Amino acid sequence: MGQNLAKLNTETSLDSVSLWGITRKRLFRRKSAVMGMIILGMLILVALTAQWLAPYDPTKSMLDVPDYTGKIEKRLPPCVHAFGCPQSEPQHLMGLDGNIRDEFSRLLYGARISLVIGFATVSFSILIGTVLGALAGYFGGWVDNTIMRVMDVVLAFPSLLLAIAIVTVLGPGLINALIAIGIVSIPAYARVVRGSVLSVREMDYVSATRSLGGNTYEILFRRILPNALTPLIVQGTLGIASAILETAALSFLGLGAQHPTPEWGSMLGQERNQVFTAPHLVFYPGLAIMLTVLAFNLLGDGLRDALDPRLAHVS
Amino acid sequence: MKRNLFSLMSLLVLASMILAACGGGQTPTQAVTEEPAAPPTEAPATQAPTEPPAAYEGMKVEAPSCDYGGGMKSIEAVDEFTVKLTLCAPDPAVPAKVAFSSLGIQPSEYLESTGGSGDLLEKPIGTGPYKLEAWERGNQIVFTRNDAYWGEPAKTPTLVFRWGSESAQRLLELQNGAVDAIDNVGPDDFGTVEGDSSLKLMPRPALNVMYIGMTNTFAPFDNELVRQAFAQAIDRQRIVDNFYPAGSEVASHFTPCSIPNGCAGESWYDFNPEAAKALLAEAGYSASNPFPSVKLSYRNVVRGYLPDPVIVAQDIQAQLKENLGVTVEINEMESGAFLDAANSGALDGMHLLGWGADFPDVVNFLDAHFSAAAFNQFGTSFDDITDNLTKGGQLAAEADREPFYAAANDAIKKHVPMIPVAHGGSAIAYKAAVEGAHASPLSTEIFAVMGIPGQDTFVWMQNAEPISLYCADETDGESLRACEQVTEPLLSYQIGGTATETGGLAESFEANDDLTEWTFHLRQGVTFHDGSALDANDVVLSYVVQWDAAHPLHKGNTGAFEYWTYLFGAFLNAPQ
Repeated sequence: MGQNLAKLNTETSLDSVSLWGITRKRLFRRKSAVMGMIILGMLILVALTAQWLAPYDPTKSMLDVPDYTGKIEKRLPPCVHAFGCPQSEPQHLMGLDGNIRDEFSRLLYGARISLVIGFATVSFSILIGTVLGALAGYFGGWVDNTIMRVMDVVLAFPSLLLAIAIVTVLGPGLINALIAIGIVSIPAYARVVRGSVLSVREMDYVSATRSLGGNTYEILFRRILPNALTPLIVQGTLGIASAILETAALSFLGLGAQHPTPEWGSMLGQERNQVFTAPHLVFYPGLAIMLTVLAFNLLGDGLRDALDPRLAHVS
Repeated sequence: MKRNLFSLMSLLVLASMILAACGGGQTPTQAVTEEPAAPPTEAPATQAPTEPPAAYEGMKVEAPSCDYGGGMKSIEAVDEFTVKLTLCAPDPAVPAKVAFSSLGIQPSEYLESTGGSGDLLEKPIGTGPYKLEAWERGNQIVFTRNDAYWGEPAKTPTLVFRWGSESAQRLLELQNGAVDAIDNVGPDDFGTVEGDSSLKLMPRPALNVMYIGMTNTFAPFDNELVRQAFAQAIDRQRIVDNFYPAGSEVASHFTPCSIPNGCAGESWYDFNPEAAKALLAEAGYSASNPFPSVKLSYRNVVRGYLPDPVIVAQDIQAQLKENLGVTVEINEMESGAFLDAANSGALDGMHLLGWGADFPDVVNFLDAHFSAAAFNQFGTSFDDITDNLTKGGQLAAEADREPFYAAANDAIKKHVPMIPVAHGGSAIAYKAAVEGAHASPLSTEIFAVMGIPGQDTFVWMQNAEPISLYCADETDGESLRACEQVTEPLLSYQIGGTATETGGLAESFEANDDLTEWTFHLRQGVTFHDGSALDANDVVLSYVVQWDAAHPLHKGNTGAFEYWTYLFGAFLNAPQ
């Protein structure tokens, strides 16, 4: 029995290049995940090059643009030369918003803000969640109980409501919204990490390190955590999507990004009453949020399937 | 064992949260109910009923002297149908004031039985053309016709009030036919309503003002030069042209020109960014000493004076950046918290707020904001403004008042406690078939005269739900409008206009020569919705519970009774 297992292990390690190699191969085989990666790649590109792509300053009203010759009217519908807008009018791909600013420029800069928010909040909560989850899983006993009960309490609140409560205490603003969403997403990561640590901690190589005299730090951070990371990556990718969505919700309510920051949620919130009179001002930011969240969800789903050992035979 | 300990702990945490949640709501109510138990610290008002020859016992409440700081000296029921108000100083605006809806008359027995709060907040009993049928909190208010009404009965048997904060939602409900009229049509929807033959647009005259307040107790606005610079750095014409609906105008003075003496004195500063920069330099700001970033607070609530708060706030932000290089942080606040902070002068920086006329007198605009008794909304007050307001308020003839209001307006322009921006036009949209449709400049639409032939319910949709229906202690127009259908003050305003009319509960009134004693003769045979008859004591008690802070019924919703202080100054027996 022991011999067979050893043999099996040796064989597996022989064909596998590395975990990442396999994952990448499986990931690229999934059309939906590739789709997600393409959208995401474009978003990142837009976010990085917004200042060159945007035709106008996203916070500047056309009233303040020197030598502006076009028609000045708030919430002007899109003017695209290719679609028959007269050449004499300056081009506004997505029209003008309520403050007579170029909606397209604002949307491009919005990509930058949304991505930064997504990555920042998730990094924040992964960092804290991982430490808490690892401590809880590794030490067990009262440490586990205390940490996980606190996590349960946080988890018991609807996350958006708790985020609103936290922002109300901290005061509205993008940074505070970011912290609030970071805090409410900690339990998800803490749980995932605790689960993996619980299973990994009983592995032979951990016992081996322990018997070789490795200290707690070494065992936890060099042996256990690196091997418990896979589910965290999946959770993190999906978490970025929900973080972006929640920030947009907070900004929609006026608790997140403050005017005139071109954040998609606040752009949507500002023009929500113009659904019928100026649909472009609600449609484009909404579409942008949808595409971003979709991209992260597709990628996250793809990663989960690719990293799941139970689906190994599929590849 | 450990598990038990932790379950216990989590239970305790949960229990304390529940306690905190419930306790928070309970405390104020308890505090309010306990208040009357404390004996009044001041000398109590003489509350001795006088004995007229008839069997009728008229109430009289009199201030021991006028030193308490308010404008009212005594309120007296001379006989069953005569009420006399005696004032400390001449007040020509008394008829306009007693027609205001916070002074609606309710039966004295009912006021006493409710203890000044509780049922009174939810179930008003008045003499009006409609009586309250049911208030489904969060959903709607239903009124039914008062068949025993003393005047012309209401056209429609049932009146329903609904509300929705989004202008798009209100318009949609109107277009669907679910409601018959909507308040505050969105500025961009005026054209839609006008282009729809089944609807009609009724513009409401711009009897209001939107201003940018600057609290002068905080740096950098404690410097008059800075305030003057800001006054010239904002292109108000651009704001009105681009972001206000048709019918709005740039404010040349704080008070709209259609109010007598509103426009006395010099017009406001012209837009002049160069002069503004020079003033900032004179105030000591330069490249080495840059101007600090300042806050602009506002509430995201649509009113006739501010149709699109978010947009206007951002345009002011953009203009100050462009014209003065000043960074403005926008600070959106919850409505109630914003008003409290603004009224107590706690807002650091600038704030966007406005005022709609309650009664058409310059006093209603200037005194409510700049008099010595006004809230310190703009920080400390200025003597050359307050003196002129006090003098002007005591004169009856508009021509005599003119020099004082001109001087007051000039002083306001000099000190710039705030920047008047616009008198905003707004509009009501009705179904085209509605008869009697009107838009009141005072926002007091009277639905008793409206109706669609053949339809026995009239549905009105406004911005927000009333806070309570005891309007003596409410200030927002959404509550006042609901009260106006049920309770009536002594006099009334012309329907759809601003003139004060008799023919309300008081058939006639007269004043002595120096305008300090006003006598109102009540209509006889008027009954309240509960069947009791209207007499002078009902009027006296309805007034006194507001006036006398030590009165056991002086409770209301929050106990602030703000409109009484706007109308007649300080409370009697006010706690120190």
